[in-house]
Amino acid sequence: MTSTDKVMDLEVSIIAADKNEYVKIGCHEMDERISEIVKFVKLRQGNIEGIREGDKYSVPIQDIYYIESVDDKTFLYMKGGVYESGRRLYDLEEVMEPYHFVRISKSIIVNLMKVVSIKPALNGRFVCKLRNEEEVIISRKYVSDVKKKLRGESV
Amino acid sequence: MKEHLKECLRNFFIIVTCINLAMFVLGSIFQKGQQFGYEAFLYPLIYGALGSIPNLFMVKKEEPTLKQYVVRQILGALLCMVLLFVFMFGGKPITTDIMIIAAGVAVSVIVIFIIVDVVTWILDSKTAKDMTADLKVLQENAGIKE
Repeated sequence: MTSTDKVMDLEVSIIAADKNEYVKIGCHEMDERISEIVKFVKLRQGNIEGIREGDKYSVPIQDIYYIESVDDKTFLYMKGGVYESGRRLYDLEEVMEPYHFVRISKSIIVNLMKVVSIKPALNGRFVCKLRNEEEVIISRKYVSDVKKKLRGESV
Repeated sequence: MKEHLKECLRNFFIIVTCINLAMFVLGSIFQKGQQFGYEAFLYPLIYGALGSIPNLFMVKKEEPTLKQYVVRQILGALLCMVLLFVFMFGGKPITTDIMIIAAGVAVSVIVIFIIVDVVTWILDSKTAKDMTADLKVLQENAGIKE
């Protein structure tokens, strides 16, 4: 019996609001299937600090559409608005890498999970259409890195 | 820089192919009975290299906007025409025949520049399609639904 043939019992229970939510996996060994589940759960976690109108917020990483650096300031673009981050773009690029974020130009990192489609633009560049109808440009220089990332290869 | 050189090389081969076609069309119109030696095979390569010179040196740190790109292409085409005219007609007296051929060459250069962009667009469309397909697989694997 291969690991994909194995049937796993699934149990979901509602816990009190004052307790931390958790995911617990009982497995015989850490195979590819378990790794995928762990990766999936991890992908849906993680927050970074965002500042809006002077107030600090904990921003869920998976809700960020893209991150842009403008005039030495870094902005997090969400469905509900824009937050500023105190961190530099290259720093966030490293932090966001496991969350399917990829650098697409000198000033932008995009969340690939928020991209609907990719279309050509003139001069070897490409346009990413996002789920919030915004469009961001993939610079020529970063196209090969984006391709690698999309194929699941390390950049 | 590497990307720029790759792009120039790709454009060079597209230009060479287009020049072959242009030479066939222009030759059939203006000099039907013309006979050539083996050196004729070199002309598309030489003209292609001349046509690629403007692009080769127009490398910018900042990527151009659409407007800048169009202006750059127009300047590139003009520069290419000047280079070709010097190469083809340099030192010869300007006659009506030469002016007609020069007009044909100018139109060919414009057409070739447009074809290069169209072919590049088609190739990029294929790349974009493949990237979107890879994106969908990645999103499916991560449990993201449409």
